[in-house]
Amino acid sequence: MDGKELLARLKTLSRIEDPRKDIHGLTYAQFPGTHCPLMGAAMAVRGIKGAVMMIVGTDECAYYTKHMTIHSEDWGGLAGRCVSVTIDQHDITFGCAKKTEAAFAELMAEQTPEAVFIVTTCVPEIIGDDFDAVADAMAAQYGVPVMAVHTEHFKCENHMPGVERTITACFGLMEGQEKDGSVNVIGQRMGRFEDTELFRVLGNAGVRVGAQLPSGCTVEEIRRAPAAQVNIVVNDIGLPLAKKMRQRFGTPYVFFDKFVDPARIAAAYENLFGFLKLPMPEELAALRQAAEKAAAEAKEQLRGVTFMYGNTPFRCLECCAFMASIGMVPQLIQCHGIHAEDAEDVRRILSSADPYMTQAANISPLQYIYDELHPMLYLGHEYPMRLRKKGIAQVHTDMGGGMLGYEVTPYLVKQLLASAEEAREIRKGGMPQ
Amino acid sequence: MSLTRFLPTPSDRMGILWSLLTVEDSVIVEYGPAGTTHFSMGLFGELGIEQENRLFTTHLREEDVVMGDTSRLENAIKEVDENFHPAVIFAVASSCSAVIGTDLRGVCTMVQPKVKARLVTFEQGGFRGDYAAGIKEAYRLLADQMVKAGAEKRPGTYNILGASIGAYRCKADVLEMERLMKEAFGMEPHTALCLETDLEKIASMGGAEVNLVIRQEALPAARLLEGKCGTPFVYGAPYGYQGTLDWLEAVGRQIGRPVNPRLAGELKKRAMETAQYRMYGRMLRRDKTQAVLCGEYEAVKGLGAFLGGMGIAPTRQISAHSLAPLENAEEGVQYLPAEKERVDLMRSLHRTLVLADDTARRLLEGDNTFIRIATPLVDGAQVAVHMPLMGPRGADMVLETVEAYFNTLR
Repeated sequence: MDGKELLARLKTLSRIEDPRKDIHGLTYAQFPGTHCPLMGAAMAVRGIKGAVMMIVGTDECAYYTKHMTIHSEDWGGLAGRCVSVTIDQHDITFGCAKKTEAAFAELMAEQTPEAVFIVTTCVPEIIGDDFDAVADAMAAQYGVPVMAVHTEHFKCENHMPGVERTITACFGLMEGQEKDGSVNVIGQRMGRFEDTELFRVLGNAGVRVGAQLPSGCTVEEIRRAPAAQVNIVVNDIGLPLAKKMRQRFGTPYVFFDKFVDPARIAAAYENLFGFLKLPMPEELAALRQAAEKAAAEAKEQLRGVTFMYGNTPFRCLECCAFMASIGMVPQLIQCHGIHAEDAEDVRRILSSADPYMTQAANISPLQYIYDELHPMLYLGHEYPMRLRKKGIAQVHTDMGGGMLGYEVTPYLVKQLLASAEEAREIRKGGMPQ
Repeated sequence: MSLTRFLPTPSDRMGILWSLLTVEDSVIVEYGPAGTTHFSMGLFGELGIEQENRLFTTHLREEDVVMGDTSRLENAIKEVDENFHPAVIFAVASSCSAVIGTDLRGVCTMVQPKVKARLVTFEQGGFRGDYAAGIKEAYRLLADQMVKAGAEKRPGTYNILGASIGAYRCKADVLEMERLMKEAFGMEPHTALCLETDLEKIASMGGAEVNLVIRQEALPAARLLEGKCGTPFVYGAPYGYQGTLDWLEAVGRQIGRPVNPRLAGELKKRAMETAQYRMYGRMLRRDKTQAVLCGEYEAVKGLGAFLGGMGIAPTRQISAHSLAPLENAEEGVQYLPAEKERVDLMRSLHRTLVLADDTARRLLEGDNTFIRIATPLVDGAQVAVHMPLMGPRGADMVLETVEAYFNTLR
């Protein structure tokens, strides 16, 4: 594989007009490939206590998903909340609605789920069974909320739509409530919201947290979610639900992603406390100062440090824009799309660099790109020893998944500084051969 | 009975994939959604199979599904050929491509002149049966397309047909058979379908003196090799002491050599020693010995016979996979396609010796005695390669738990 040829196929950020068409994979043959939305749905249902996930799909889809859950306490282990209806040749020909109804009857005879998500996969979606109707019929028959979630992978690029569709489906569980001054947190996929700075700040300000979707809530909390004063959307996947809630229940939302740039975090806090009609907590000034100080102090050591972005818990382009703002040089960014909300970050990146853009989750051909671009850092999951052999230090950021607010900035800066130092150590005496 | 509460039976496609992934020098290109490939890493990693630079996905987009555009597959094959130079590329269908009716073979025929690698297609998308059907097809296709006729004969060597990395203790069983073959006849293994093999070894399989077929799914492959290379085969698997001796004697008859008398004597002695358990069983006042087995057909049959020889009659013998791919399944072994039937069976047992998988273990009442003989693994991992289910070592292991079982009976 020729790294130069691979790069020649890619467009740089300034040349991206239609992200879906212009950001393409390095190769047609991918490994390991992206996660599928079925997995995304599983990630979401895991956090909803009392809800059962019923997969309708091939043995393979059901096997891998169940396999992922069998050691999870959240899921209830092997005999837990993940069940399936596996389809065969007969079902493809004659439809799998009846089989699903029969399976549903078995489920209800054995368990008392508070809600059921019927999650359809690629094949049922191709054959076109009407699972929205099945879900409605099951809900009416058994008096339990049943939501259909469609997770065909051929219509999307990764697992995030699966999370999004599952939490959006929770809209069907909600009932109008009197506002009680609380907030909901929508879109947190990793870590516990209770461990974040934002949670502490809200608590200190006397704001109660209601439903947390999908990071951990009960069906009852989802039902009462419209009582919230504000929805805090911490990832794009929460936007469809937040918009629906705004329309139906008049609940405003604040977009408070895992921003890294202190100015963006400050704007999110101001927005949030504005909707809450509460004064800005005094502690935020000190937190912002600490974050800005960390970023400013790191500039000297990080200026000119080159990097390739794979994946982090942070917002891809905002994170890259922040790193560019402290003097780092993005060479290649792996992402699946550029949204309207990213426009400012794109502009900020382009003010100092014009990185190559490619899709994520295809690590094999990256090896050849390393030999061309020689980045100092790689942000994301890769084989660390292989990176070291190429003179690259890996930046670990998974812990950031459980952070929100100004705490993100010093954490990322610390990881970058450590990895930049490691890269310099690796390269002492020249690049590894 | 449509609900699956636990892990479903792996599909034919999964069996094909884990078989092909054991063949070095080859690459698999899956024509399907990327998520399935990524998701499979968990299981294949657990089975100890390396996937990097061995397994690729093309991913599928809506336009490919709706319009039937196969350029993604064509380009992926060309790319893998150019970048990794494998001798063979296995193009494997996905459930999606199978349902929309992609002509995988036709695409590969069209692409073949443009690539150096030999293209072999597997059009099963997961709907032609369970993994037993898949591994059967993998053995058959490898024997048919990869084995060269006229390979140089190597007396004193043998192949094992029917190894399946998805089977519990597969590697340990193969090592045990290799140990027995060495001790019994001084013979050396050539290769095993499908375990830690490569294309060169598969190509030259025809040079072996005999093929040892350890599961019925490999019989079509064995017959193909007999026809193509003139290699005779012996079907059977060495479970229990007497079962191992019978198996070795069957191999000996085929190759015209006697079993090493020292080994034969030792196995006879051990088989006779187990007769005491019949007496123990007759001494029980309250309980009656009984065993239930659930696992791979051959293990259930072989270990069932071993236990029966000790007076522990198997009351139920359940195959973990469909019996349809088998040519001659014993009547005593059943397949229960509905999970509920298996669940109910396991929950109903008392004071029974149960040989099954971890899911069954979780369903058992505490007065049963359990031995793991099958996947899936839920509790713990499979590490040891010196603890087979087959051969005298496997029998020793079973016997230890049989002793524990008798301790629970009155």
